[in-house]
Amino acid sequence: MGVKHVLTVPGRYEEIQKICQFVAEGAAESGLDETAVFHIELACDEACTNIIEHAYGGEGKGEIAISWQLKDSTFTVTFHDNGRSFNPDAVPQPALPPTSPDPKSAPDIDNVKVGGLGIHFMRQLMDDVQFDFDEKEGNTLVLVKNKS
Amino acid sequence: MSGMNIWEESVGDDIWIVGVNGRLDQNLNPILEQHLTTLLDEGRTRLVVDLSQTNYINSGGLRTLVTGWRKARQQQGNLVLCGLDGRLQEIFGMVGFDQLFQIYPNRQAAQQGLSQL
Repeated sequence: MGVKHVLTVPGRYEEIQKICQFVAEGAAESGLDETAVFHIELACDEACTNIIEHAYGGEGKGEIAISWQLKDSTFTVTFHDNGRSFNPDAVPQPALPPTSPDPKSAPDIDNVKVGGLGIHFMRQLMDDVQFDFDEKEGNTLVLVKNKS
Repeated sequence: MSGMNIWEESVGDDIWIVGVNGRLDQNLNPILEQHLTTLLDEGRTRLVVDLSQTNYINSGGLRTLVTGWRKARQQQGNLVLCGLDGRLQEIFGMVGFDQLFQIYPNRQAAQQGLSQL
């Protein structure tokens, strides 16, 4: 079983880069390739932003505990916070432009809605995203990336 | 320090270039937003955001760019992008924003594109 590496920081935007660096260095150390490290970094950024914005409802309301672990070929990042229950599955999908070009129609200014983009990224960038809420423990978000 | 990370340049033909150096994240997004809002409020609606020195963007950065693009379009202008590296292109492609924005390889091409507006 791999060693678990833990970092606890105040839930503030200025801490996010430190969190990303902590996890990205762990991913690189664990032998994930550059692209995977970049994906993990961005997913962690979005996870922390959601915790501050939605679980805590603002900066400086509580701590975020982050840990990473490599077990076999699976790199797992876990986030804990003590904010309100925040279930990413309950967030509607953003209304995004089509990912293939359609020369007949210009992008519709009013119909592009970018709310929920962070969760969309987490799901796109990681192999698995799991959420759990416990009255005592608070929110737990688990992001998983498999080593290719 | 943050002032040096976002710069503006007027290049004639009422086109303004806004450049981003470094990580377009929670620290820099509000500053970029402020620059874009100020220019658009002044009626500068032909904007190029130069991302050739940008090595990272998160969803907040994309939201800032979409907001600027939407405001520019509503004022009969446009906000186009240039200089995206492979990683940024991947992120834009993942959410279809490579179809939303006009993206040029460099600022010269972006200026030319905007001049035809």
